[in-house]
Amino acid sequence: MLKHLSRFRKSVARFCDENLRQNKLAAALVVPFALAISQPAGAAVQASDVVKSAVDGFIRPAYASLQQHAAATAKAVEALCAAPSQQALDAARTEFAGAVTAWSAIEIVRFGPITENNRLERMLYWPDRKGLGLKQVQAALAEKDVSATDAAGIAGKSIAMQGLGALEFVLHGTDAEMLAGKDGAYRCSFGSAIAGNIETIATDVSTAWAKPDGFAALWASPGPDNPLYRDGSEAVTELMGVFINGLELVRDQRLKNFLGANADAAKPKQAIYWRSGLTGASLAANLDGMNRLFQASNLGDALPKDDRWIADSIEIQLVNGVAAAKEASGSVAEVLADPKRRAALEHFQLITSSLSNLFGTRLSAAFGLTAGFSSLDGD
Amino acid sequence: MRTPLIDRRDFLKAAGTGFLAALAPQAWAATLEADAVFATAYMKRDGSYGAAVLSEAGKMLHAVDLPDRGHDVTFDPVSGRSAVFARQPGTFFVVFDHKGRSEPLTIASQPARHFFGHGAFSTDGALLYATENDFDNAAGMVGVYDAKEGFKRIGEFPTYGIGPHELLLLGDGRTIAIANGGIETHPDFGRAELNIATMKPSYVLVDRITGEMLEKHELPAALHQLSIRHMDLDAKGTVWFGCQHRGPATEQPLLVGRAERGKDLALLDMPKDVLAGFRNYIGSVAANPDAGTVAVSSPQGNVFAVIEAASGKVLKTSSLTEVCGLAPDHSGFLATTGAGAIVQPDGNTMTEPDYVWDNHMLRIASSE
Repeated sequence: MLKHLSRFRKSVARFCDENLRQNKLAAALVVPFALAISQPAGAAVQASDVVKSAVDGFIRPAYASLQQHAAATAKAVEALCAAPSQQALDAARTEFAGAVTAWSAIEIVRFGPITENNRLERMLYWPDRKGLGLKQVQAALAEKDVSATDAAGIAGKSIAMQGLGALEFVLHGTDAEMLAGKDGAYRCSFGSAIAGNIETIATDVSTAWAKPDGFAALWASPGPDNPLYRDGSEAVTELMGVFINGLELVRDQRLKNFLGANADAAKPKQAIYWRSGLTGASLAANLDGMNRLFQASNLGDALPKDDRWIADSIEIQLVNGVAAAKEASGSVAEVLADPKRRAALEHFQLITSSLSNLFGTRLSAAFGLTAGFSSLDGD
Repeated sequence: MRTPLIDRRDFLKAAGTGFLAALAPQAWAATLEADAVFATAYMKRDGSYGAAVLSEAGKMLHAVDLPDRGHDVTFDPVSGRSAVFARQPGTFFVVFDHKGRSEPLTIASQPARHFFGHGAFSTDGALLYATENDFDNAAGMVGVYDAKEGFKRIGEFPTYGIGPHELLLLGDGRTIAIANGGIETHPDFGRAELNIATMKPSYVLVDRITGEMLEKHELPAALHQLSIRHMDLDAKGTVWFGCQHRGPATEQPLLVGRAERGKDLALLDMPKDVLAGFRNYIGSVAANPDAGTVAVSSPQGNVFAVIEAASGKVLKTSSLTEVCGLAPDHSGFLATTGAGAIVQPDGNTMTEPDYVWDNHMLRIASSE
């Protein structure tokens, strides 16, 4: 069942249509409409308000945080290159972990400015199924490719060697220890260039979202002339898609690919961020981002009283999910070998399935949105 | 042609596929009077999957269970059997006779391959061709199945591209047109699209006997994220194709095009509001050769449009929630939706309460 539930799409009923705003009843977001109409007009929630809250309460701050962590990482790697030491290497790794966590929280947003100029793939080329990025990074290190030592040069190279995966290899991959000494000079300048490129992408996305007349305004003002969101329903569907698609991504792409049906079938080296031991932290941040977005957008407040339990359950499960993933933090190989921590990941998987049901079926139905069957991605 | 085959049919048989609904004799009597029946995959509201043959009036005449979600159906008029393919990354197709003259047959993909949901019979019904994914090598393949030998897989040839989707047998009976959507996927990562930044869709003609590539056409480099996915043939033999844009939503490229032998692909200009209504996504393409029209649907935009084939002019658009399946019917189109509606050309709407319809619908003339 879950498979099709996660394939979320279009709505049947429509959220408020901006051109009908004068009509308070028609402008009610709470769907089915009959319910909204039976409530006092003041209880109605505007789709544009939900979107604005999501943008101001989560998306803008989360991209700003990413930008800050990316800048701090770039600075720390630069400092490491200037004065290599174990302490400086540790500091760079700490900042890198901060950037990964910040990215993992906001990467659930897969529309808007991040989709332009291949930013999504340049920020994180994953899964790198054929080890393309790894090969290119290793080749640059072996050849000491000077064109890979400034951020602009990196931006012109293969997307597979531009982002967090490449930087992870530089800071944590084979021979990364050389960064603490003079022999790591080339490797460090390469890492510094990647970190600079990540900072540029993060800055560009954050700036684009911050613009008062940019994508955020487009999203928050649905209407017949809006090229992307013809009505409030489409705008809220985009928001709901963050959760529904995000949960599928976390479970089917990020977790299942390495967890395996049992300990023997686990593939720790297929896990995202296995080199830096940030797998669990990243999964936790994915759900933490969803939790923050759900809180910020006040979607729960748009529910009729009888359906408020859905929002309560979602909040509890998101918190549980973050806790389960955090329990599985550290080296993913060790996590998988430890029955207790492996169980935490299995629990995490169950929680994401339960959340898919809550968002894809329960919450969607309460809003009169259907988890579409026919209109699916990629077919 | 290569490939050693491992027969997994027995396994699938154990997984269970059989007749779901037997046909009431009176329903058939009425249907024989009609022009055509229509085949489509479906999901039941209890979450189970299958494929059905519907009458023009939207009545369910025949149904088979499927082990998982289906996609498109193709029909062989010689044997009267249809094949319904699993939706990507599914690993089966089911051959059934909607008149119930033989038991359905479930065929598994070979290891290291999965289906993309589309296929076509040779004109004589002897061979069935299916688009498949050689996922470890990210290479599109066409699997060849011998209909006379229980659909044993007898070979394969490349699609000369990544992520093939629909394939069509052209009018010469020998050339197969393939829409290489360009998107790399691997079952280890579900339906995740792995190469959006570098994808390169193409339209390829292959000689089905030799497996050789006859023509390959790509869209201009600026449109490399425009995935070519579905096709149909108009009365003149021109292939009409529909695309899905994987780039930013704010870009709204042309989505419908025509392919003629020996010529570059030509995208069709459309009024801006019609194009914007498609939300960068065409879900199916169906021609009505008798009427000289082609219809394209957008389940994401909740709309379908009918185009005059000769002029390329959009004749009309119809709003319909989650419309995707389209098939020619009299001078118009029968349309089905993911919300369960079956809409006749005159707009009359029917439902089968327990069923919602998958992306495609196939017209089967009742003489066949």
